[in-house]
Amino acid sequence: MSKRAVDSVFQAMFLLTDLRVILRDTAPVHELDESRQAMVARTLAELEEQVKVIRKEMVG
Amino acid sequence: MKCGLSLDVRDIDETTINIDPIQVGGRLTADAMKAVIAYGDGYSVCDNCRKPNRLDMIKSPPIDAFHRDLAAFVNMDEARVVPGARRAFQAVAGTYIEKGDPVLLTALSHYTEFLSVEAYGGVPLEIQKSSEHIITADAAGEKIDSVKREYGRPPKLLYVDHFDYQFGNEHEVKGIIKVAKQNDIPVLYNGAYTVGIMPVDGRDLGADFVVGSAHKSMASPAPSGVLAVTKECAEEVFRTTKAQADLTKRTFGIKEVEMMGCTLMGVTLVGMMASFPHVRERVKHWDCHLSNGRMIVDALLAIDGTTVKSEYPRKHTLTRIDTTGSFDTVARTHKKRGFFLTSALKEKGISGTIPGATKVWKFNTYGMTDAQARYTAKAFQDIALQSGLHVLQ
Repeated sequence: MSKRAVDSVFQAMFLLTDLRVILRDTAPVHELDESRQAMVARTLAELEEQVKVIRKEMVG
Repeated sequence: MKCGLSLDVRDIDETTINIDPIQVGGRLTADAMKAVIAYGDGYSVCDNCRKPNRLDMIKSPPIDAFHRDLAAFVNMDEARVVPGARRAFQAVAGTYIEKGDPVLLTALSHYTEFLSVEAYGGVPLEIQKSSEHIITADAAGEKIDSVKREYGRPPKLLYVDHFDYQFGNEHEVKGIIKVAKQNDIPVLYNGAYTVGIMPVDGRDLGADFVVGSAHKSMASPAPSGVLAVTKECAEEVFRTTKAQADLTKRTFGIKEVEMMGCTLMGVTLVGMMASFPHVRERVKHWDCHLSNGRMIVDALLAIDGTTVKSEYPRKHTLTRIDTTGSFDTVARTHKKRGFFLTSALKEKGISGTIPGATKVWKFNTYGMTDAQARYTAKAFQDIALQSGLHVLQ
């Protein structure tokens, strides 16, 4: 298995952790202002890139 | 949702505003959560441990530098990470206390401080608190004099909590340490509720030992903490082993006796380290956290019949409140009895209070965003209004 896959797995978990913290900061109603929504959108875009790498490296 | 087969996912801080008195300062930062993911395996910080094989000397990850940073953070000379504040108490007690030694604690000291004295045969003696639940320098002086009369010598050691766990009140630590110094008594400053959430300067206070609880106030996994000491005391508390095995003639390098060698060897330490830059920054914003806490206390006090047991105005985000004259009057006739308040808070997404408590209870508002603080203040008042209580506007 490639180092690239390993890096992407960690990076994906770290990105999800950033989303977790946003959930904490906005509990209990989770109403996200524009700034937080933009942050979530950026994080999800990066996460999708990492998932693509994982799929390519581990599934083919 | 489960973690593996049997553990439920713990999502209390993702789904609610947690006001548990002991939990809020220990919640992990994002960086600590990431470090926990990467370093979860047992001896994960030991990959690059080289001779002389001691935790505080490992360079990768930079544990050696972290120890220096920790000492500087509380303005002391040396520091070690320990498995919780209690193990720091134990290390200091193990170094100085001998059987029959009088040791000063206070009427608001944590039980682990008593246990550390007991473990080494010391005699724990309390400094009286005032009617306002404050430990004063005058009271400390009187107790020291009393001990000297009874034992013919001063106490061997004095423990003082800057803020106590029962009321979250601030005690006269600087004055108490001054009195202790005048009597040649070494002082352990217990910063379980300060180190990591507000600035602490051990040298300015005159403390010999500064103890912090990382899982309580430094955004770290449990059990973790810090013991920081002066250079003079470091030679005693962090003394190295001199033991030699009789048969094998083995010796044990420079392992420190009171630390039992290495202390935090994995996820606890990297959690501390990953949070530390954020912790060092957040203590500068203590006033903001205090301001949010005061707003919530004032919102509670606006509910007719509510009083605050802690000192007021508040100097800490941990507060002991008395709602015997407000929420408890509702509980007396409510079908859920005392659980009505817990239940109502839960419906509003607030957790961390003792289930069923409607008389005297504690909460801690540290770490809330401004929006969460406003939400919490309003939630208490909304519950009061919905329960037929009068709320002063």
